[in-house]
Amino acid sequence: MTPIDLLTPPAPPTTTRPAPPSRPVVDEPMVLNIGPHHPSTHGVLRVVVRLDGELVVSADPDVGFLHTGIEKTFEAKTYVKGMTLAPRMGYLSPIHNSLAYVLAVEKLLGVDVPERATVIRVILAELDRIASHLVFVGIHGLDLGASSAVMYTFREREAILDIMELVGGARMFPIYIRPGGLSSDLPPEFEAAVTDILDRLPAAIDGYERLLTNNVFWKDRTVGVAVISAEEALALGTGAHILRATGVAYDLRKCAPYCGYEDYEFDVPVRTEGDAYARYLLRIAEMRESVKIARQALSRLPSGPYVTADRKVAPPPKHELATSMEAVIHHFKLWTEGFRPPAGEAYAAVEAPRGEMGMYVVSDGTAKPWRVHMRSPSFVNLQALETMVLGRQVADLVTAVASLDPVMGEVDR
Amino acid sequence: MGYGMGVLKGMGITFRHMIETYTIGFKLQPSAAGDLPAPTGVAGGMPTVTGGMQTIQYPEEKLPVPERFRYLPFLLYDEEQGHERAHFDGVRCTACGICAKVCPPQCIWIVQGKGDDGKPRPVCTEFYIDSSICMSCGFCAEYCPFDAIKMDHEFELSSYERHESWVYDLQELLHPVAYHAAIHPTDYAREVEETRAKDEAKRTRDAAKAAAAVAAGGDPVADAAAAEEAKRLKMEARERMLAAKKAKEQGGG
Ligand code: SF4
Ligand code: SF4
Repeated sequence: MTPIDLLTPPAPPTTTRPAPPSRPVVDEPMVLNIGPHHPSTHGVLRVVVRLDGELVVSADPDVGFLHTGIEKTFEAKTYVKGMTLAPRMGYLSPIHNSLAYVLAVEKLLGVDVPERATVIRVILAELDRIASHLVFVGIHGLDLGASSAVMYTFREREAILDIMELVGGARMFPIYIRPGGLSSDLPPEFEAAVTDILDRLPAAIDGYERLLTNNVFWKDRTVGVAVISAEEALALGTGAHILRATGVAYDLRKCAPYCGYEDYEFDVPVRTEGDAYARYLLRIAEMRESVKIARQALSRLPSGPYVTADRKVAPPPKHELATSMEAVIHHFKLWTEGFRPPAGEAYAAVEAPRGEMGMYVVSDGTAKPWRVHMRSPSFVNLQALETMVLGRQVADLVTAVASLDPVMGEVDR
Repeated sequence: MGYGMGVLKGMGITFRHMIETYTIGFKLQPSAAGDLPAPTGVAGGMPTVTGGMQTIQYPEEKLPVPERFRYLPFLLYDEEQGHERAHFDGVRCTACGICAKVCPPQCIWIVQGKGDDGKPRPVCTEFYIDSSICMSCGFCAEYCPFDAIKMDHEFELSSYERHESWVYDLQELLHPVAYHAAIHPTDYAREVEETRAKDEAKRTRDAAKAAAAVAAGGDPVADAAAAEEAKRLKMEARERMLAAKKAKEQGGG
């Protein structure tokens, strides 16, 4: 028996295999559907991505999976009933959506809002902004695999939702802001609860920063990723953190103040990198500014009525029903028919957590709006997706979607 | 900073939080003896302890909800008959229909009661709320002029059947006023105060009227009879108008 020679290479086989049939080389990008049921698409967003290897050739957000017909439903409901619809559209910033709608309706009616109601609106709006940014920080982390941040951000968010429940009776849809003011006065526990969360927030935000800001993985996945230039951001009409991360200091609270924001001292944080990391840093900084604003508002909370005395818009207080026939008539008329703003149109915009949240309300003089249209920031921001990921790795798409922070209910409404 | 350091730093933070669950949070947990007290560190629906372990042993323990918390509406009845706000069998609802009108998804259905003479009376004989449609907005409770409908704090409503059991009828909706007073103490205090103020106003008004009548030399009893007569005539006119309207509607198809 000859020993097996392991050193000399074996002779090539003598039989030849037939050559494979020649196929045409397809030089076509691969089409990949991301979503609509993908954990990183923040709801039901489908992105049709065309890939050349790992590189993105095009990315089309395909919206409409969460279409609820809210815009149309507004036309069938009286103005006050519309209050229940506005927050349901953007479920992460319900106060801002209500506020935009109410400001538009108030413009139509030409009704004055008492100072106390305005200050309370500011406090709630800033808490709303913080709660929304907390979701951003937590979920952005979750999308990129940093799964512990969300545990801590949701702890503080929970406290804010508890405050919403305290004032309005529900965590997500308090329906507390009404045309002409608020639905009721603040409960006695309010100030202590708000002071408590405002005291805790700065330290809590430091905690999130310890987890993320200097974390090498976090920076690897966000620095220089999903970049957009100032020109592109402006041309696409984006707002909030996307625009401000490119160096444009555009904030409606400063540029077109509403609810007396001009009287508060706060800064609009701006960065110039235009990438996902800059957007994250901006939102952290914005939360700190919001704490400042809420503190100022709380310290100047005036006493007085919480709703306008105009009986055509707001119901009479219940104790008047018992004694005044006139109050009963107003009450019945208001709730069986609703108020009728003069024919005309009004647009009101607020700086929502995701950008300019605008409500355009057209009245034909009846008790129901003829048309309500929202300029929802999530929808507009989503258009920047392709610009951000073109020519980049497909994995960066997740970062881009997360840092755009779309709320699909607001996109599709 | 290397990746290893990044991992260690992140782990360090979560580890500290884990230690806190034993140093801060552990004290909050119920005793191991098995009796579960109401969760500590909670006041008026707001957690007051914010560090460490915050687990609530649901469903044995429940977080109290704030007074304004709303879930589904319920109807009120007064236990004591003859209460000023009670209309019929103690049920406060007058079937005015405001709640059904303001309800945004229109999930309230009311049938107004009729007297023996066939005339509508301010009572409801049937009252349905479809809880699967109700959006928990609380408008019905807010706008009921008679404090007859309020929002419940009960939120565990799952059932094995999802059609009939989700439509609540009058019997399921009725709750005693004492229940309302227990879950809405502030609102109930306002109500009591209003009733008192109203009674007082009525008494002073009546007294003033009687005094004026005496001063004018009139007979208060005859005056009252005249007022009754006027009221009756007014009601009759209203009935006629309603009948005419109805006939017109039917005629119009
Ligand atoms: S508003 Fe009040 S009194 Fe009127 S029908 Fe509804 S529950 Fe009854
Ligand atoms: S809570 Fe709102 S939706 Fe539910 S029954 Fe009352 S008015 Fe209708």
